Amino acid sequence: RSGSKQPTTPADNYYLARRRTLQVVVSSLLTEAGFESAEKAAVETLTEMLQSYISEIGRSAKSYCEHTARTQPTLSDIVVTLVEMGFNVETLPAYAKRSQRMVITAPPVTNQPVTPKALTAGQNKPHPSHIPGHFPEFPDPHTYIKTPTYREPVSDYQVLREKAASQRRDVERALTRFMAKTGETQSLFKDDVSTFPLIAARPFTVPYLTALLPSELEMQQMEETDSSEQDDQTDTENLPLHMSTDDSGPEKENASVLQQNTSLSGSRNGEENVIDNPYLRPVKKPKIRRKK
Amino acid sequence: AVPVSAAVAAAPSEGAMSNGVYVPPSAANGDVKPVVSTTPLVDFLMQLEDYTPTIPDAVTGYYLNRAGFEASDPRIIRLISLAAQKFISDIANDALQHCKMKGTASGSSRNKSKDKKYTLTMEDLTPALAEYGINVKKPHYFT
Repeated sequence: RSGSKQPTTPADNYYLARRRTLQVVVSSLLTEAGFESAEKAAVETLTEMLQSYISEIGRSAKSYCEHTARTQPTLSDIVVTLVEMGFNVETLPAYAKRSQRMVITAPPVTNQPVTPKALTAGQNKPHPSHIPGHFPEFPDPHTYIKTPTYREPVSDYQVLREKAASQRRDVERALTRFMAKTGETQSLFKDDVSTFPLIAARPFTVPYLTALLPSELEMQQMEETDSSEQDDQTDTENLPLHMSTDDSGPEKENASVLQQNTSLSGSRNGEENVIDNPYLRPVKKPKIRRKK
Repeated sequence: AVPVSAAVAAAPSEGAMSNGVYVPPSAANGDVKPVVSTTPLVDFLMQLEDYTPTIPDAVTGYYLNRAGFEASDPRIIRLISLAAQKFISDIANDALQHCKMKGTASGSSRNKSKDKKYTLTMEDLTPALAEYGINVKKPHYFT
């Protein structure tokens, strides 16, 4: 039962309507018996009793019927139920024939709210076979079907190539401009410096050094495999510094090459070499014969 | 009336059988009344075709459905609603008797008959229900 302040759901309304009908029935029965008026508590009591009486008959009759392995209750089940509840069944026909009886109209049955034709969108999904027919229908499909809100990505080859090419060009231009703005610039025009800045070229003292030595990526790979050995690590850290300084003399260059060779030979123990370039293999030191 | 149907397992097989109802030997003493068969009620059920009891079919059917009782025959529903009605009106009549007894017991109405206005109060209903084994307790009013 719901309290007086709580909003009533349709189920509560359904329940209350029938309860009110029972109250009306009780009142009519009391009037038949000869009462002019009654206490509210007395009417409530009798209503409650009537409701539980009907419910108990239903429950008990169902139990008796199921007790005999049936599902549909019959007259005999009800008779046995009434007898069990202490009701004298023989007097029932006599009671039915009494003169004054009032008929109460049934409470109005409200249909389920039907969505108007204008609002329905699409066909409702039919019931699958495991759902009984008296269950309500599925709601309109627009309530549970979702449509993705993104557009399908373009998969046309030509458009994609164009997009990739323009994106690469834009990235390149942005990067070069960034480097020009933050680093040294040279200009082709004497008076106008800012219009077409060129990134200043840094001359290497030994230009062919980068061609001879392995790339930065391979250096990083060697560094990772070399991290377990502490001795070689300092050498590898010094090497990039050697490469970037401009005033490295030829002696230092030889020393750096030698140091790198040692690091390479040292790191060969645990390294699985992906690139098997013969020019990048570690150099085998020639045996130095000491003449006595 | 005591139901006979499922009762005695140790009953001997020589019990009398009359019109399909098993009567145990103790019925000869007269202290156990056999339950009447359902034959007269079957006739009565036929009469219920066009009879509308006070309780509408929809309401009774609603409460029966709540209890799990699915009625195949609408006359069964009318039978049940009739039984429930009779139950309540029996109690109401007993309460009326109590009310009348209280009125005339004091001896006030010698000249005029008891006024026809009877009001059902809890004081009348409580002893009427007590005879049926139902004990109701009205809460005291807090003043």
